Amino acid sequence: MRALKDNPAGKLILLGVLVCLVILPFVLPNRFYVRLVNEIMIYALLAMSLDVLLGYTGLLSFMHNAYLGIGAYSTGLFLMHAWSGSVWLAMLAGVLFTLAVALPVGWVQVRTGGLAFALLTLAFGMMFYTVAWKWYPVTGGDDGLMGLPQPTLSLLGINLASSGNSTAMYLFTLGVVLVCFLFTWRVIHSPLGAVLEAIRENEERASFVGINVRRYKLVGWMLACGLAGVAGSLYILYRGYAGPGVMGAFEGAGVLMMVLLGGMGSLWGPLVGAAIFIFMKDFLSSLTQDWEIFVGVIVILLVLFLPRGVAGLPDLLRRAKAE
Amino acid sequence: MGWIATTVDIILNSLVLGGIFLIMGVGLNIIYGLNRVMNLAHGALYALGAYFGFTMVALGLNYFLALLLAPVVVGVAGLIIERLLISPMRKRHMIYTLILTYGLMFVIDGLIKFFWGQETRFIQLPEFMQQTVSVGPASYPVFRLVILIGIAAVVAALMLLLGRTRLGINMRAASSIPEMVSACGINVRRVQISAFVLGCILAGTAGMLAGPLFTVFALMGHDILISSFVVVVIGGLGSLRGAVVAALLVGFVQTLAEFFVTDMAMVMVYMLMALVLVFKPLGILGEGKFE
Repeated sequence: MRALKDNPAGKLILLGVLVCLVILPFVLPNRFYVRLVNEIMIYALLAMSLDVLLGYTGLLSFMHNAYLGIGAYSTGLFLMHAWSGSVWLAMLAGVLFTLAVALPVGWVQVRTGGLAFALLTLAFGMMFYTVAWKWYPVTGGDDGLMGLPQPTLSLLGINLASSGNSTAMYLFTLGVVLVCFLFTWRVIHSPLGAVLEAIRENEERASFVGINVRRYKLVGWMLACGLAGVAGSLYILYRGYAGPGVMGAFEGAGVLMMVLLGGMGSLWGPLVGAAIFIFMKDFLSSLTQDWEIFVGVIVILLVLFLPRGVAGLPDLLRRAKAE
Repeated sequence: MGWIATTVDIILNSLVLGGIFLIMGVGLNIIYGLNRVMNLAHGALYALGAYFGFTMVALGLNYFLALLLAPVVVGVAGLIIERLLISPMRKRHMIYTLILTYGLMFVIDGLIKFFWGQETRFIQLPEFMQQTVSVGPASYPVFRLVILIGIAAVVAALMLLLGRTRLGINMRAASSIPEMVSACGINVRRVQISAFVLGCILAGTAGMLAGPLFTVFALMGHDILISSFVVVVIGGLGSLRGAVVAALLVGFVQTLAEFFVTDMAMVMVYMLMALVLVFKPLGILGEGKFE
């Protein structure tokens, strides 16, 4: 994937999508769909953060949603118990707390190799889920965090409205996700991104040229968890609620599927994957209760037949045309 | 005398729990050692074993017969999975098989919910197993002792299989140098497939043994899957001896933690794992390197 600068078509598409997204809440009469697209943007950010880990660093996290959950809970707890005056401060607190949790976990995880790393994400993810579910006095247990204050949203110094206003929340989410996307794009196409990709391609060779593999894996992990924390704080502002359900193993599989659907290692693919996944889930869950089986079957089929997802399609078409 | 009874109780319970972990962990390691596949559907196969066993007993079969039969059915399911899904992935990066078996886990879990429903099931045990017996100062349920004997029998059978039979020796050889085994004129593919099936049979056996202990429910495979990973990671990936040591250790820590902190018992187990990894990143007896 070339850098955005020398990819005018990509730039144009991004701009077009952005304009459409900005206009959307004003032309769409149905609030339900505005909120659905809002949710898509949040999960797109989460899927993109998982792609930093999976597609660029070559590390698999089964329960990346755990860090969305931690971000959501800590932002919510900050709003409830500390100060609900500034939404930015609450988000900052959420992200910092997520990073503080992710650091020791990541430190332990990068000491092992790729496979054990993946297994450990599952174990730690389940641990966080257990804590969110059982630590009743702090997290509210099964009921989750309730009675959250709705802070005033501000974007670039402009006070939008309370986070309960769906249009304001939508624009706020769009702004934050866009900034995160551009930031991540910049990082991935910097020398640091090249180092991460080198680790993905061949860990041993990367260490031979003097790269401290463990340290850079940890950097990739922290970047991914920080972005997931941002997604988490957006999530709780948007939902006004967080329960242990968002941290479950099944949700984690969903995020993985978004990345697979979109195609790993492209950064924009998972954004598309998140959109497809959430629309599909919305559609399928209205049809059948056994949604689980379909998720599993789709994951299996994707791995077997379309391992590079939507992002792999242009390549596939080009090759088909050449033949 | 109370504390002696409690101690006996804890020791017996941790042996039972550790034994279940052992069968699961060894199964995962046998599959991994020969196929380089970490089977995330292992917990779902465990649940499948318990459900098959439940249905067999409900249809009037003796528990012990079901204990022999249900794992075989799971083994057949394993064979189908290997041929249909794992074989085509042989040349691909390990991340793909990991994700694939994760998807498979959801399919099996979903099918279990579809066919057996959400409610908790109980495997009907023979009359004599429903009593208690006194072990020293403590009284202990008979069925737990029977399960303990069952675990010991499985471990003995496994040792015989791996140590004394041609298949077992081929398996151990192929897990370290497959090229060499192949050069000796042995069909390595067949050995790999039998290792996968053997792992699945072990998962089914563990499920059938654990069924009477923890009851049979749709998500029973999730917790055990995580615990088995902890066992495999602590013991060292691919190391059978490591899995045995780690299983007993985890079983003991978890039983003790459940006794003292109840709700957060699993957190203690994860802490143990983190602690081991800090000092021995490859696990207690992990010789090879992680891939």
